[in-house]
Amino acid sequence: MIGKKLNVGSVDKKEFLRKYGTVMGALIIFTVFSLTARNFFTSTNLLMLLRQMSMLTIISLGFTFVMGAGGFDMSIGNATGLINIIFAIVILNTNSFWIALLAALLVGVTIGVLNGTLVAYIGLPDFIGTFAVGSIIYGVKMLITKGNPIFFNDTVPKIFFFIGQGYVGPIPFPVILMAFFVGLAIFILNKTSLGRRVYAIGGNSIASLYAGINVKRYRLITFIVSGLSVAIASVILTSRLGSAQPLAGEEFLLDAISVVFLSTTMFGDGEPTGSGTFVGALIISMMNNGLTMLNVPYYFQYITKGTVVIFAVVLSVVLGQKLRVKL
Amino acid sequence: MMPADKTVKAANIIETEGVGKEFNGVWVLKDIDFSLRPGEIHSLVGENGAGKSTFIKILSGVYQPSSGSIKIDGSPITFHNVRHSESFGIRTVHQEINLVPFFNVYENIFIGTEQKKNILGIGVLDDRQMKKKAKEVIDKLGVRLDVNKPAHLLNASMQRIVEISKVLVHSPRVIIFDEPTTSLGEEERKRLLEIIKGLKKTGIGIIYISHNLEEVMEISDRITVFRDGCRIDTMDRSEAAPEKIVSMMIGHKSYNEYKREECYKCSEVFIDVKNLSTDKLKGINFSVHKGEILGIAGVVGAGKTEIAKAIFGLDKIQKGEIQLYGGRYQPSCQRAIENGIALVPEERQAQGLIPNYSVMKNITLTYLNKWCSRGVMDSDREIETAREYIDLMSIKTTGYAQLVKFLSGGNQQKVILSRWLNGDFKIGLFDEPTKGIDVKAKEDIYGLMDQLAREGKAIIVLSSYLPELLSISDRIIVVHEGELVGEFDPKEDNAKEKIMHAMLGGRVA
Repeated sequence: MIGKKLNVGSVDKKEFLRKYGTVMGALIIFTVFSLTARNFFTSTNLLMLLRQMSMLTIISLGFTFVMGAGGFDMSIGNATGLINIIFAIVILNTNSFWIALLAALLVGVTIGVLNGTLVAYIGLPDFIGTFAVGSIIYGVKMLITKGNPIFFNDTVPKIFFFIGQGYVGPIPFPVILMAFFVGLAIFILNKTSLGRRVYAIGGNSIASLYAGINVKRYRLITFIVSGLSVAIASVILTSRLGSAQPLAGEEFLLDAISVVFLSTTMFGDGEPTGSGTFVGALIISMMNNGLTMLNVPYYFQYITKGTVVIFAVVLSVVLGQKLRVKL
Repeated sequence: MMPADKTVKAANIIETEGVGKEFNGVWVLKDIDFSLRPGEIHSLVGENGAGKSTFIKILSGVYQPSSGSIKIDGSPITFHNVRHSESFGIRTVHQEINLVPFFNVYENIFIGTEQKKNILGIGVLDDRQMKKKAKEVIDKLGVRLDVNKPAHLLNASMQRIVEISKVLVHSPRVIIFDEPTTSLGEEERKRLLEIIKGLKKTGIGIIYISHNLEEVMEISDRITVFRDGCRIDTMDRSEAAPEKIVSMMIGHKSYNEYKREECYKCSEVFIDVKNLSTDKLKGINFSVHKGEILGIAGVVGAGKTEIAKAIFGLDKIQKGEIQLYGGRYQPSCQRAIENGIALVPEERQAQGLIPNYSVMKNITLTYLNKWCSRGVMDSDREIETAREYIDLMSIKTTGYAQLVKFLSGGNQQKVILSRWLNGDFKIGLFDEPTKGIDVKAKEDIYGLMDQLAREGKAIIVLSSYLPELLSISDRIIVVHEGELVGEFDPKEDNAKEKIMHAMLGGRVA
């Protein structure tokens, strides 16, 4: 049969690059910053880097589900800010971290249901549906806060500050949360029927429908997962900031898109994976961190990140097509 | 460029010597000697994966040969790309229809090669010129077709004609037809063959690829048989006979046309369709019994697929109802599967497969819960099942982890069948189950359907290929333009003619 042995001779090198090119990219960036930025390769900075990236990673994991099923979620940036505010208001009024957490998760689920209903059930294109939801969320945020930040007082439960600022031994607590959710996402995407169906829909939604998968419901689920992950990241963010800012988290949209596209370039199958998303988040966060340390102006950081996105997408498209050449 | 002697007419346009192709160390094509004369129809036959497609991709410049040489008009040449091959007048009419639905006929014909005129130094589309040329080409084919009609309003055979016209406006010297009659009904198929014969008379060299031997026998001057990447033989039509070709195609194995012997029909009715109406269907009535194979015949677009879709919950039912096992049934995909209905869809690539999923993942997709507990997959059991079905269905693959897109059509179809066999379905809907797959796989699938009926399932086969239905069905109903127009016993006298007549719209008294 044709296509029998894909790993023969010179293919090995290409195969290797295709699969691990992105990981190597991360290593190169790491090495370059270690050599050029004086305080980059220190345990303090690396732990800080990990803590910094935890929120982006968690948001991107949710996005990975959406994109794994062939969808897109433009509302995550604005959603982060809204949940941030709701969480703060509830905790200030109830003085209970758990009730506030529940409220945050509920808002996350609601946003996911809204996105999923519009996109999967009503049939709006993903970009339009989730973009519109993001716009509504922005309006609601401003309506609630009039654009003003919300500060916390001393009565707020201690556990609240622990979530974003605490340590377990030398390890920042958000890093532990991140590790947990990365593991959970990898497990769900690879080892469960949910993950199998999500990728099947992303691979061919019509064939998935014919195979009896409830495509609409599973797409809705991916948006709910995205909403939930935004909620969790939001709670960490609120705790880290010690205040609620209506505009907080807006940069997560561009960053998460970059992360998940980087994720699709890993392992060369054109689908985002849990581990790929972790590496992608590492790349983007290292760039944020390293470029700041090198005193690169913030506008130049945007230019760099945009370039990385283009690079990643081109790479994933080119690799994807190379792969798709029928033997 | 061309030698100026008088024997030019008989000289080969294309000549290949020892052409081969390897991918990643695997030779998928070996040592092909081939020639094509002007005004000749040279057919390539062989099972899927025999190397025909690779060979024509080399001729059309998609692939560069790994060995051997190609000569055009006697001079050696290496095609760098498709454009390069086209510049020598070699054009391909592909198996798939590739038209822009809302573009009209002439716009589709000139897509990518739009004619322009100069107005004040600006290139503007010259619609008049394009329409004129399009009309000329279509007239030459002896077809009546309005060049202003949008492509989506054309039927399959007219769309095919637009595809051919797209090629003809470039006055090609060689046309490669890749399965041009797939998805055409019998009448349309005949017309297309006439058109191709007409093209040959104008001196164009034609390379013709088809799985339909009747067609090949009818149309060809010479026939070349491929098997396992090699050229087995090239014959003049006079020396060829279908049995001989088939035996060359499949090697040592002998092949008899499948004939179903017994009927296992029981009295129990599994599915009863009453006055079913949808967008495309009008008042369809039929029932299928346990152990019975019902054939549904009709030309392409007659409404066969729509019947399957309505039963499987993919199309909305406007009127009428479907009863399963004597009880009510409100169709939806999930309920269909819960009630033991399986659907093998017509479009394998678009509706059947997850191309980037492995053979295993494609096999277990529908009844995924069988291999998981509390949502977590049990990979050992899953692998075991995949291996079992690869073995049972003799799926040719490098292993359960191979991506399904790398399998040949017949093996892909077996993967989809395996998917359903896992679930112990009771009613099987097989929509064009042998479309575009090789002889051996076809035979396997007929055998499987027979066995399923024997096991007490109700089988519905939807097909536009009549010989297939005649050999496999216990009973055949015919749809035409969304209506049921007749019911036949395939064993009755002149069944073939009567059914054909009904398929083409002649109502049965």
